[in-house]
Amino acid sequence: MATFESSAAATPGLPAGRRIGAGWFAALGILALWGLAAWIYQLTQGLIVTGMRDEVSWGLYITTFAFLVGLSAGGLIMASAAEVFGVKSVRPLARLGVLTAGACVLVAAMTIIPDLGKPQRVWELFRYPQWRSPMIWDIIIVVVYFVFAAVDLGLMTGRIGKVSRRRQALRVMAYIGLPAAVLLHSITAWIFGLQISRPFWNTALLAPLFVTSAILSGTALIALVALAARRFGKLQLPDETWSALSRLMAAAIAIELFLVGADYLTILWGNVPSERAALDMILPGGSWQWVFWLEWVVGGVIPFLLLVLPRWRGRFGAMAVASVLVLVGVYAFRIELVVGGLLKPLLSLAPGVSIGSASPNAFQLVGSYHPTWVEYAIVAGLLAFLGLLITLGYRWLGSLDREEARA
Amino acid sequence: MAKRTKHWAMVIDQERCIGCWTCAVGCKVINNEPAGFWWNRILTAAPGEFGGRSDESADPASDNIDVPHGTFPQVEMAYLPVACQHCDDAPCVKVCPVDATFKRDDGTVMIDYERCIGCRYCIAACPYGVRVFNWGDADHQVDFTVGYGRDYRSDGRLVFTPDRPRGVVEKCTMCVERIDTGQQPFCVDVCPTGARIFGDLNDSSSEVSQLVKEDGATQLLPELGTDPNVYYLPVKSEGTV
Repeated sequence: MATFESSAAATPGLPAGRRIGAGWFAALGILALWGLAAWIYQLTQGLIVTGMRDEVSWGLYITTFAFLVGLSAGGLIMASAAEVFGVKSVRPLARLGVLTAGACVLVAAMTIIPDLGKPQRVWELFRYPQWRSPMIWDIIIVVVYFVFAAVDLGLMTGRIGKVSRRRQALRVMAYIGLPAAVLLHSITAWIFGLQISRPFWNTALLAPLFVTSAILSGTALIALVALAARRFGKLQLPDETWSALSRLMAAAIAIELFLVGADYLTILWGNVPSERAALDMILPGGSWQWVFWLEWVVGGVIPFLLLVLPRWRGRFGAMAVASVLVLVGVYAFRIELVVGGLLKPLLSLAPGVSIGSASPNAFQLVGSYHPTWVEYAIVAGLLAFLGLLITLGYRWLGSLDREEARA
Repeated sequence: MAKRTKHWAMVIDQERCIGCWTCAVGCKVINNEPAGFWWNRILTAAPGEFGGRSDESADPASDNIDVPHGTFPQVEMAYLPVACQHCDDAPCVKVCPVDATFKRDDGTVMIDYERCIGCRYCIAACPYGVRVFNWGDADHQVDFTVGYGRDYRSDGRLVFTPDRPRGVVEKCTMCVERIDTGQQPFCVDVCPTGARIFGDLNDSSSEVSQLVKEDGATQLLPELGTDPNVYYLPVKSEGTV
């Protein structure tokens, strides 16, 4: 198995590389089109074709939105950390990072559209903004973040700005980028965290937790993209870059589990029934315990050990597996939060909450949620589109480098 | 002379409520609510129990309606009718990104059917679970419109329509059509035991003002600070089932 030490000489940058097979593009393209078709079908029928109902009124779309927002973190933080904290080892990843960040936040914004009951009214968000709503602030920061990533990438690739000023501009951008990334994840967390109606969401820990899980999943994505580029595109990175990615991921897993654990302990010790109700469904023995296992074991302990134990540390294969598991774990954390928070209403008395459809029963005491094929298809389509954006973007960066080399 | 603003409120006397669901059915009929939609529900609670807090009373034997709490012979039961609480500090109004859910000067909370983008943030934000969403096309048991039967606008905003647009949120309007013309909400009129009392909190001599100020009417989940305009008179007498 290849290890970091056995990787080729340290020549940062994105060389030409061999072509990724047409199969990759075909598969992603078909998935994206299938998602688009599912969305058109949903438009004709309404959200009734999803598994969401009045109790669990947010499902895979919002979960995926929060997940993709988190994925966008890694890139900008990587690019900014190189400048702000002088972490030289991650500098080779700066352009790739910003590209990934921009693509993720773009697709995150797109994920909101299929969740809306009236997507044709989305323009009203800009026409009639209601400034007390965390959602308005989130939309603003998502737009700002995307524009920022686009400008940053333009500067890095020399598409905009004067050559003499570019270096300085990039430095300034790095100093803006870091707080912007923290804000993006905090505001997304506050959409949930500020709500008194959902005790499971209503914790001050949520913003730090979102920032941590964003760094974690963002780094995992960058690692995966870099590993894929190494495999298919002959990307060569210095050992310390791989090692920095690996250490950052391990540290983020530890901090994430610490924060979630601290939250669990507070709820368990306090023993307030309304807070226990949601947590009990997630902890082992509850009806949603699979989320717990995915988050703590599959996406927590196992990747952590893969990244830190001397036996696996420094192996590309182990890092790839760990990155995939981390993404699974962070997605499980989003499900735990979004769906878990909605499962148990505060007024949990018979006959329950009206669920907005007549069959099988008009009421539910405990929420239930089973995503339908439409939701899976749309989410898969969006993720495939994200894959296409990143692959094409990476090739574009490669072609720029070749031009430069010729010039 | 400026017209003095009203501050509408409702008091529900749980000692009088017999859990007959007439208010819920009346609400469903007059508002032409589609199949599966309930703006108004009658929950089975324990006396003085709010929010299903089991530390305040024994659990019911099952999760079905009309099942008393406790173990025989120490059983107790009360009914808790729940519709929109028309909060003064309404979480739904605060989270709505486009100001589609808004508060009128008279204290009622409305939804503009023409503004709502269907993001359902208000459903997540409501502590009382009283909002319902038009997931698909409205499905009615009869093929004609019942109840008000026409659109109603408040300050030009469409706050009621018998033909529900797909993809918007709806809920109790405190029968805005009726209160704007000096009538009481329909649930108040149809209640066979007179358990619902409607009136103006700005009028200190009104019955609701008296009940809130002197008879200890309480709000649902008061610790959340949402300050609802729907109040409850809990069951006080021992042994009442």
